[in-house]
Amino acid sequence: MNSNVNIVEINSLNDNQLIELSKKNTLSLSLVEMKEVQKYFKAAKRNPTDVELETVAQTWSEHCKHKTLTGNIEYAEETSKGKKVKKYSNLLKETIFKATVELNKKWCISVFKDNAGVIDFDSKNGVAFKVETHNHPSALEPYGGSATGIGGVIRDILGVGLGAKPLANTDVFCFGLPDTKYSEVPEGMHHPKRIAKGVVSGVRDYGNRMGIPTVNGAVFFDKGYMANPLVYCGTMGIIPKNKAFKEVKSGDLVLVVGGRTGRDGIHGATFSSVELDKESDVSAVQIGNPIVEKKVLDTMLKARDLNLYRAVTDCGAGGLSSAVGELGEKTGVEVQLEKVPLKYKGLKPWEIWISEAQERMVFAVQPKNKHKILKLFKQENVEATFIGKFTNDNKLTLTYNGKKVADMSMEFLHDGVPKPTRPAVWKETKQLKQKPVKASAKVLADDMKKVLSDINVCSRDWIIRQYDHEVQGQTVVKPLLGNSIHNFGPSDAAVIWPYTVVKNTKKAVVLSNGLNPEYGKIDTYKMTTSAIEESVRNAVCVGANPEMLSVLDNFCWGNPNKPEILGSLVRAAQACYDMSKGFEIPFISGKDSLYNEYTIDGRTYSIPPALLISAMGVIEDVDKTITMNFKSAGNYIYLVGLTKNELGGSVYAKIKGLKGIVPDVDIKVSRKLMKAMYDAISSGFVEACHDCSEGGFAAAVSEMAFAGELGAKINADLIKTDFQMTLTEKLFSESNTRFIVEIMPENKEKFEKTLKGFVFAQIGTTESEQSLVIESKKSKISIKTKIKDLQKSWQRQLLG
Amino acid sequence: MIFEIAIKMKKGFSNPHSTHLISDIKGIGVKGIKSSEYMPVYRIDSDITKKQAEIIASELLSDKITEEFSIVSYNSLSDKKIEKNSIEVWFKSGVTDTVSESVVKAIKDLGIENEVKVKTGHKYIFKGETDDKKLTKIATGLLANTLIQEYKIK
Repeated sequence: MNSNVNIVEINSLNDNQLIELSKKNTLSLSLVEMKEVQKYFKAAKRNPTDVELETVAQTWSEHCKHKTLTGNIEYAEETSKGKKVKKYSNLLKETIFKATVELNKKWCISVFKDNAGVIDFDSKNGVAFKVETHNHPSALEPYGGSATGIGGVIRDILGVGLGAKPLANTDVFCFGLPDTKYSEVPEGMHHPKRIAKGVVSGVRDYGNRMGIPTVNGAVFFDKGYMANPLVYCGTMGIIPKNKAFKEVKSGDLVLVVGGRTGRDGIHGATFSSVELDKESDVSAVQIGNPIVEKKVLDTMLKARDLNLYRAVTDCGAGGLSSAVGELGEKTGVEVQLEKVPLKYKGLKPWEIWISEAQERMVFAVQPKNKHKILKLFKQENVEATFIGKFTNDNKLTLTYNGKKVADMSMEFLHDGVPKPTRPAVWKETKQLKQKPVKASAKVLADDMKKVLSDINVCSRDWIIRQYDHEVQGQTVVKPLLGNSIHNFGPSDAAVIWPYTVVKNTKKAVVLSNGLNPEYGKIDTYKMTTSAIEESVRNAVCVGANPEMLSVLDNFCWGNPNKPEILGSLVRAAQACYDMSKGFEIPFISGKDSLYNEYTIDGRTYSIPPALLISAMGVIEDVDKTITMNFKSAGNYIYLVGLTKNELGGSVYAKIKGLKGIVPDVDIKVSRKLMKAMYDAISSGFVEACHDCSEGGFAAAVSEMAFAGELGAKINADLIKTDFQMTLTEKLFSESNTRFIVEIMPENKEKFEKTLKGFVFAQIGTTESEQSLVIESKKSKISIKTKIKDLQKSWQRQLLG
Repeated sequence: MIFEIAIKMKKGFSNPHSTHLISDIKGIGVKGIKSSEYMPVYRIDSDITKKQAEIIASELLSDKITEEFSIVSYNSLSDKKIEKNSIEVWFKSGVTDTVSESVVKAIKDLGIENEVKVKTGHKYIFKGETDDKKLTKIATGLLANTLIQEYKIK
């Protein structure tokens, strides 16, 4: 063997020593896994090299193999109906993926097997969508962490099939409270405000420089994310259907393209399997360079269209080890590590192999195209180097200066990881209706402003305006909508019309999301159903057909070794299945980030579980999309859907310190109502539509009014409720499946006919006088507020 | 020779970086700082002439309309003096510095063939009541992430 390579004594170690070895080298392998490695090398009658051991650790990491979601789980549930036990041998396959398989939608092109999910756009093209998390790196270095997060998910889109062209980015964050006292921030951690600002700047600088618009997102603040922020980055792209699949053949050459390799992000993948602590490894930090990635993007799409390669994937977590390993899983591969271009001298072979240096892609190139593809990359000043070839021996063989440094079977690497069995428990806690909540007109007017200026409702324009959401010139429904630069409200969803890529198309792509960890603190099942409903509802609001939508899941959870945390995850996964099946909306891709907790001074901070649902769908006719701001005075305002006494987890309950029932979803009713709303919008009967979510009816109707610079007069007694509710409850309940709709008087009949059989009510009118008037004769209350005042509350300073 | 080129906004042009910083300083509870001036700094280690350094500063690193530059030079880093009431932030060695990579490339594109090493940094000069304790708090709380950057105060 080589002097740069160490042989690691493993075969003679006892259990304690194996654990010690795993810890010392940050391998993040459990005892069972270490024993499996020992067994393999005992059989091979030799000890592993450091390269081999690191490769196993990367390939078997939580990030790459999703050991928890695909492992064995023994789930026990205790409810008022009794105890129930269920065994899962692969939670992902038995819930989320199962729904997709059962739904078997013809328009799903590639799901759960590539770097992104792909669905039909038209007869010739597909659209790809992927959302990733980059939480741990963003906690350590907010700017670099989020920049490489967006850089990484863009490469996922470049690495799906033979490469899609990115059209839009999305980003969703969960941060600690910006007004946290400095003395409360654990030593060695950044203040939430600094994290938030750094993360936003990172996404801005990377996304804007790549020339990809950032069009949709969400931000949720809670003290539970102080030491562990969540950073979700997503990218959507378009791909010709005949380029949607990859195939590696024996004899193909391994080409690495883009950035050079340094010590960046070493142990990033295994790092996401361990809790953060004060001494977290310095080299885990990655720094992005969008200029390099932009050149890779432009050139590789040219190479794709010239059919110069057979497969591509991105170098993400685990670096070359994961990327080359995945491409060569079915064939075997031989790599000469000394050929990998380095940023600086002195890297050991194992470091070269697992480095997470950014902006790198790996290609499988037929030998006949060897010179052509090199020439093309060279012309565009992109570094491209052949480092090995795919074989037919089903082995991973690595050499360094002619000497073998790794020699392992692909089967062991990819299928050898032992399945752990973890216990999961969930005990039902009863949610009860709060005592009737009553307030005077003055208090209610004040509460409306408090809700609008709440950190989880107020305007995100400080963030949104830093992003370029217009580049490429295809953004039709934008993140902020209204009738001027000063008067705007929050859009429900983004619509991208890819007319520069697909000539003469009328079709468009809708992107939306749903997230509400506040509900998850009480009930992760309802958090999940609400998040899925919200993402679909948001898309329907701008004119998307719910029958043509697909969704992505992103789980960010605490430590799954704790049974109650795993139990809440199982509940959420089960809710995903129920919703997906009930709504006939397939999951097309997903990702999980576990172990989101942080220990310092012996205290463990665990994050509130967060499930982000990102929806994507195809809109048949871009001309039929609509926006949320009121359009003109004298129109009718409808509230569609049933308002229930569901204040549990609401913004109002948080402000007032109330409990209550968390919003539920009636899947059957919701699905049909969404379809009816789509019919009404696509028939042109609707002027404006906005969904009721955080802040309830009061927040939503205010947003529509000040975005349109119009007043409104509402008779709250006409709001349809299931049981008797006070005015306060009607205004701030966050019941799902509700839309506020503006209709021109001449469309009244047609609109009502379309919604026949559903719960809806004409509750008011739009007014030229710029006040929001809400009256209830039953409660003898009349609230009159200037929309300018409501707007001022909503547009409070966020982070600035 | 080491040349340090600092880029400053001309009088009459506001620098959003500086304005935000003052509000952030108040946010972390440091009192008495009246104003701050922010300058990106490029440290060029090369055998280029002063004239060439000026060309790099004026043609590549600064905007002639809104910005002006200053150049200081010294033989080795130990000769360097730090301005009073200031904080400098630099990447630790080994950390990827993407801006410097672009600067190296752009210097070549300017036709300067000498071998150059570039490091990028940030300089902040404060007015008002400053002391070491306050500057350290500003540096660690706002300006430098000590995981990847080092800072110097005076």
